[in-house]
Amino acid sequence: MTTAAPPLTRQRAETSAARASQVWKVYGTGEAQVVALRGVDVELERGRFTAIMGPSGSGKSTLMHCLAGLDSVSRGQVFVGDTEVTGLSDAGLTRLRREKIGFIFQQFNLLPTLTAEENILLPLAIAGRKADPQWFKTVIETVGLGDRLGHRPSQLSGGQQQRVACARALVSRPEVVFADEPTGNLDSRSGAEVLGFLRRSVTEYGQTIVMVTHDAVAASYADRVIFLADGQIVAELTAPTPERVLDTLKSLDRPAPLGTDL
Amino acid sequence: MIKASLRGLLQRKLRLSLAVFAIVLSVAFLAGSLVLSDTLNARFTALFSTINQNVSVVVAAKDPQAVEPARLTDAQLRALSEVDGVKAVSPDVSAQGVIPFRATDGEPVSADAALGFGVDGNDDPLGLVELREGRWPTAEGEVTITAHTAELAKVKRGEQLKVYLPVLNEPRSFTVVGVAGYSGGRDSLAGEVVVMFQQAFAQQTFYGGTGLYGGASFAAEDGVSDDTLKQRIVEKLPAGFKALTGQESSEEQSAQVGVLFDVFKYILIGFAVVAGVVGIFLIFNTFNIIVAQRTRELALLRALGAGWGQVAGSVLLEALIVSLVGATVGLAAGIGVAAAGEAAITSQVELPAAGLVIAPLTVILAYLLGVVVTLIAAFVPAVRASSVPPVAAMRDVVRPDKSLTALSIVGAVFALPGIGLVLLGAFADLGGTAFLVLLGGAVLVFIGALLLSPLLARPIVRGLGALIGRGSAGNLGVRNAARNPRRTAVTAAAIIIGVTVIGMTATVVQSFKTSLEDIMGDNIGVEVMIQANVTAAPDGRQGFNPKALDQVRAIPGVKEAAAWHFDALGVSVAGQPQAFGIFATDVGQASRMFPFDATDGQIRTLAAQELVLDDNIAETLKLKAGDRTPVVIGGVTRDYTVVGVYQATPIIQGILVGEAAVADFPGPLAFQGFVSLNDGVDAAPVVEKIETIMKDYPGVQVGDRQSYVDQATASYDFLLIAVQILLLVALVIALLGILNTLVLSIVERTRELGLVRAVGLSRSGLVWMVTVESVLITVFGVFLGLALGVGLGAAFTKALMTLEFATVIAIPWLELGQYLLAAVVAGVLAAVIPARMAARLNVLDAISYE
Repeated sequence: MTTAAPPLTRQRAETSAARASQVWKVYGTGEAQVVALRGVDVELERGRFTAIMGPSGSGKSTLMHCLAGLDSVSRGQVFVGDTEVTGLSDAGLTRLRREKIGFIFQQFNLLPTLTAEENILLPLAIAGRKADPQWFKTVIETVGLGDRLGHRPSQLSGGQQQRVACARALVSRPEVVFADEPTGNLDSRSGAEVLGFLRRSVTEYGQTIVMVTHDAVAASYADRVIFLADGQIVAELTAPTPERVLDTLKSLDRPAPLGTDL
Repeated sequence: MIKASLRGLLQRKLRLSLAVFAIVLSVAFLAGSLVLSDTLNARFTALFSTINQNVSVVVAAKDPQAVEPARLTDAQLRALSEVDGVKAVSPDVSAQGVIPFRATDGEPVSADAALGFGVDGNDDPLGLVELREGRWPTAEGEVTITAHTAELAKVKRGEQLKVYLPVLNEPRSFTVVGVAGYSGGRDSLAGEVVVMFQQAFAQQTFYGGTGLYGGASFAAEDGVSDDTLKQRIVEKLPAGFKALTGQESSEEQSAQVGVLFDVFKYILIGFAVVAGVVGIFLIFNTFNIIVAQRTRELALLRALGAGWGQVAGSVLLEALIVSLVGATVGLAAGIGVAAAGEAAITSQVELPAAGLVIAPLTVILAYLLGVVVTLIAAFVPAVRASSVPPVAAMRDVVRPDKSLTALSIVGAVFALPGIGLVLLGAFADLGGTAFLVLLGGAVLVFIGALLLSPLLARPIVRGLGALIGRGSAGNLGVRNAARNPRRTAVTAAAIIIGVTVIGMTATVVQSFKTSLEDIMGDNIGVEVMIQANVTAAPDGRQGFNPKALDQVRAIPGVKEAAAWHFDALGVSVAGQPQAFGIFATDVGQASRMFPFDATDGQIRTLAAQELVLDDNIAETLKLKAGDRTPVVIGGVTRDYTVVGVYQATPIIQGILVGEAAVADFPGPLAFQGFVSLNDGVDAAPVVEKIETIMKDYPGVQVGDRQSYVDQATASYDFLLIAVQILLLVALVIALLGILNTLVLSIVERTRELGLVRAVGLSRSGLVWMVTVESVLITVFGVFLGLALGVGLGAAFTKALMTLEFATVIAIPWLELGQYLLAAVVAGVLAAVIPARMAARLNVLDAISYE
């Protein structure tokens, strides 16, 4: 039914912030071939906080990179909002990153030469846009950085740096924020602050967040947890608690019953 | 975005300062050369403006170098003086090369210009020259001299002064009757010596007849402009003369003199070009390193939405700022170089002060050079920066070294046809075009070699490393040098370029010298040479009187003495102009001194209207023994008979006529003299005696065979020294490049260095490891450069041999060894800072380094 496809896409786009459809990712060729994703189907709902978990090498980071258009897929389609990411040109991807995507990194990745405020405004500066002053104020208040805006990253603690990074991801109101192990380099107290802040931005401002983590406590801040193993989605939890997340992870540690075909 | 790149630039200022330095060097040489030449021009213009300050119009011969330059007669001068608007006339009776001898020791006075004038006994109507004491000369035996001349020649009024007279070709004694100076109290205008004679005597001596003038200067009446007077004078101008306003004359004269200093200008421009080319590699490497180190940051910018153009642009912006800073500093340094150069020149030549001239064009060219060089060099790194994938912000993206295959194929595409052309130029008998073919081939080979150098880096570095890389630390150093062949090759490029140029020059010069020594040693029976240093094309008007050789022949031990006359002015044979001129001598005598191999006819003493010539020219002119052909010498055409054809050799080539032909030459003076001695006679005392005889002829030099070889090769030695300085410039830049690369490598390998320290490598081992890497990079560059330079130099020499300019290819091993040594020293020096950096790493920090 070829005529049915476009309305279906549009309808789905209205509800999902990002979507992967039968996504395969294969690295290398021949002997050195590694299959990172094996036909992943996933839909990330708008206005929700989704965590992606899985053991090392399960493909969770690859899935996020593919969803964010940072990495190309071998097969399948990826959408962010109503834009198909797969097949976009470099210019299209650049536009997508400017308009629809925000990133939070494990290493914070702040430019050491810029102040906190300049770092926060960097994506807007790159895109040649002005910040909405009201929203900027809101974001700054939420992350609690008001008195540190003039500091350089080296003058801030790890938690503060990551809060700057969060503010940077949110300030352009992207369709979806991708966070790659945002608490991986933080002590538990700073990590909790950052996670609380992410949680609040979802609840209070309707921000969509996708977070890769291997920390069960971090995952418990999410609305929904997707578990990957061997490049496939093997389990899913909604309204997770740390205990349930841990239990699920433990069940995954057993020899994988899935993935019989290559 | 711009703010981010500007702040980043400040953070990287140490590294960038190396790139800036390369630009500074290049721009400084260029700006220095331009400012110096403009400044000297301004000084000369000021000088000639002083001379012409009261002159409205100058009338002079159109071609003053002609065999018979046009002269004004009394009547013509009078007609010009009567032109409406002429206030005063100063007729010109003058000659160059009028050299006074010092009263104290009889040596000729050394000055940049030695002029003789004829004066009419009245004060200078134009008011430039003023009598200070005594009077103007009124008799043949009297002269008045300038105060500067009196000082140099150490004579006073009333004393005798010996003066060499160029046309008479002999010195005469005069009584100094007066001393003059210039308006404004100056003793000289530019350090020149001036002797003023009675006018009739000067006319007779310089021009061969009284009532003749070389030209005249005119002052205009008030209210008559220079241009108007010039127009009026032009209407009455005799044929063969031109009229210039005072201003035009000043400009023309200063341009003529300025040419003398062009050699400095070209040397400095050569330095600028080499520094620029070598600098491109250093800047390229610097920016590559910066981009590599900034991978994560660039990826972040991309992840945050920067387009590839913005990222490339930020690198180019950084390059632009670096280039502007470099060009500004370079411009300032260049002005310093020019000031130093000017001081050096004006310490030798007195010139009126004019201040440094910094023309707008100089500034524009300086910035253009800096910006163009930097942007070319930064282009590839900028493109590379723009291709950093955004995902590199999140994980380490291994960007494998691109295969060298494509680069090597392109290199081979350049090198192979290049080698073909070089071989063609060296071995095929192509005549003069051989050098064009060779040059084209050499450029292709050179580009090819630079492109192939990454491919060659690994095997050569490993091979060399086997020699010095003993022990585990050394071995690690060798592996590090071989590990990234592209980086090693680019770092060594500056050395390759410098050493290729010097290797080539050294080989050609050495071959040339050895050839000359061979020829001089084995084949000629000449022990002492007499050589005239001439300021114009030799034509018999400068040199020595061949009669002086009679005195030489009288010296005990002298077997034979031969005078050679030479005319390079307007000679033509068989209807074709002969740029290399014609010799006149006793050919029979010459054949006893030089190896003449007759290939046709015979080589013997020639009668009038007979000639011999070498086989190359005979072939060109299609002449053989027995042919009659028209020969033009000194404007006179006569039919000559070809008596013989001989084989051209590096020492003997050209067209020779008998001594009878000297009558047709523009002047009767000999250009060279050759003296053979009886067996067992020591040359040194004979040289001394001949020097005494030749003392009356300023500019004539006497020497033994070796001194002749030295003199003949002196200009090549000068070239060699200039190229050696160039090498030094290239080495300094290369040293910085190596330093840069090593520092990067150490930053990149911090973890690895910590590891080797943790498993027990000592600090000194680490220092040795870094030093081995550094020395290997430099030696690799020298190795490749020497191979290229010696190879190309040998090819050029081979082509010279085909043209009979050289006999052997000689490789200057000693000098090549010195260059290698210099490179090793440079390599060790370059390693000092990086090695200390590596040695100071804290083991724990290094391992936990993120």
